[in-house]
Order: sequence, then C-alpha cells, then structure tokens
Amino acid sequence: MTDCGCDKAKAELEEYLHNELAKADAADIAEHMANCDDCTGEHEVGVVLTAAVQRACKEKAPEELRNEVLLKLRQIQATH
Amino acid sequence: MTMTLTVSQRKAPIRNAGFEADTLTQELHSLLMTTDATPEPEATVPEVVPPGKRVISDETRALFEDQALQYMDQLYAAAMRMTRNPSDAADLVQETFVKAYQAFGQFTQGTNLKAWLYRIQTNTFINNYRKNQRNPYQGTIDELEDWQLGNAESVTQSTSTRSAEAEAIDHLPDSAVKDALQSIPEDFRLAVYFADVEGFSYQEIADIMKTPVGTVMSRLHRGRRLLRDILADYARDRGISSAPATGSTK
Repeated sequence: MTDCGCDKAKAELEEYLHNELAKADAADIAEHMANCDDCTGEHEVGVVLTAAVQRACKEKAPEELRNEVLLKLRQIQATH
Repeated sequence: MTMTLTVSQRKAPIRNAGFEADTLTQELHSLLMTTDATPEPEATVPEVVPPGKRVISDETRALFEDQALQYMDQLYAAAMRMTRNPSDAADLVQETFVKAYQAFGQFTQGTNLKAWLYRIQTNTFINNYRKNQRNPYQGTIDELEDWQLGNAESVTQSTSTRSAEAEAIDHLPDSAVKDALQSIPEDFRLAVYFADVEGFSYQEIADIMKTPVGTVMSRLHRGRRLLRDILADYARDRGISSAPATGSTK
C-alpha cells in the first residue's frame, strides 16, 4: 500500500490520536494503518510522544500549598 | 442622613467587609432608598449582594473541598507549565482556588468542574502573570511561519527512522521532556498540556484558551512538531537510539 489514503491519514493522525474524529473517519484511518507501515510508524511516534509528555507532567503539589489553600478557604468563609 | 449611615454601617460588615466598592454601592443605594421612601433594609439585600459573594455555608465549603481540591496536583502541574517556576506556580494555584471558591455559586453542578477550574486558572495566569514575563513571541506566535520557529515538517523520514524515533522518545528521561516543553512557545505548550496530559477535547481547549478550534489544532500540531524535533536532537546528542546497548548513557 503506497499512495492511497496516506495524505488523508497523515493529515488526520493527530485528531485520530486525540479522539477527535467521527467514528467513520476514525475507522477509515485505522483501516488504512492496518495496511500502511509508514502511517502506523507515524502514529506510533505520536502515541509515544503523548505518553512521554504525560510522564513528564506528573507533578505533585507541595504539601504546604494544600495546607495554605485549606486555610485560605476558611479565612474567606469567616469574612463572609 | 444620620439614619442612612447607621443603616449602611450596620449592613456592610454582614455582607462583605473586604470589598470597599461594594460598601460604597451599598451606601449609595441606601441613600437613594432613603431620600424618597421609608428605608427597607432587608428588602435591598438580595439586589446589592453580587451572586457568588453570598455567605458561604459549611456545606458549600465541604462540597468545594470535596469536589475541587482533588485537582490540585493537576492544576499545579499546569501552573508549572504556565509560570515555569515553583513559587509562582503555587501562588497561581492558590489564587485559582480562591477565585473558584468565591464564584462556586455560579458553577453549575453536573458540568465539567475540571474544565471550569482550568478556565479560571488560565484567565488568572493571562491577566496576572503573563504580562510580567518576557516573551518575544507573545501575541504573534500563531502568525509565525514554521521556518521562523525552526520547525521543519520532515516528510522524508523512512519507516526505520520513525521506529527509531519512537524508541528514542520512549527512553528519554522525564527531565528532557520537561525541558523541551518549557522551551516551546507558551501557547503551544499549553495546548499540548491540555490535550495530551489532561485529555481535554479540542472544543474544551478552545473554551479554556478563548481561541477558535482551528487555532487549537494548529498550536497542537506545531507544538508537538517542535517537541519532536527538540527531543530528536537531544536523543542524537546523547546517543540515545533504539539500540538496546545505550541504556547506560548519561
């Protein structure tokens, strides 16, 4: 499988990755990828990139912040 | 006149001691009310107190703490992407919760609370923090051409390079990905964060960033492209590749 559908698939891969495509369109992309190593590889990079960003952004708020916020909420409630 | 003052002084602290503007309005209101009619202080209360500034009950606070505080880690991670330093990030998150708490009466239960909180935080960031930061791109980033961003759409990649790229990205340390994120333009960075970390829909991101969906898609695409390029450079420099022997690279 070379030329058929690659342009369309490449253009929509990011929306596919983010679940933004309508069911039928997503099915088209999936079907195309089943026969196209190139687009599958491109999609794979996208998936891995998303996972890497998710891993990198797993931060925890400092414990002091949690306490400060709780305190602040009570202060605001008291002034009302 | 004496009577008017007594009325407004008595009322002001009950409602909202911290807001001078409100007190002024209340006094004006009381003045107007008393000039031509007998004052009815009780009746004026609902009109003068702005929605969201009403008395916060213990139940409301408990509800807010129960529903909203669970998003603190996520909001903090987002704040780190926004402000790029821990102390501003903490301030921004605290401000977000204070604003959200004061406006909690306006939140419609059953709608997306997380998106609502993110809207408040993004607004707060743009209004209070962004203008303090020096960003040469600000305001024009969407109009810049790809080549101006050092962004090159690589169409010539072979299948084997692609799988090597995926492999490399998969093996990068979190710090490298974080640095790469921090280095791309802010609007791209936030779009990527909202979509890839939070899983917001394009429409939700458009609402949060107050921009058309088409702009969201473009920011995402260009942001992710930039990230790929930066990470590919990083991997190449460190000799990180798909070869299994490179695990020891430091």
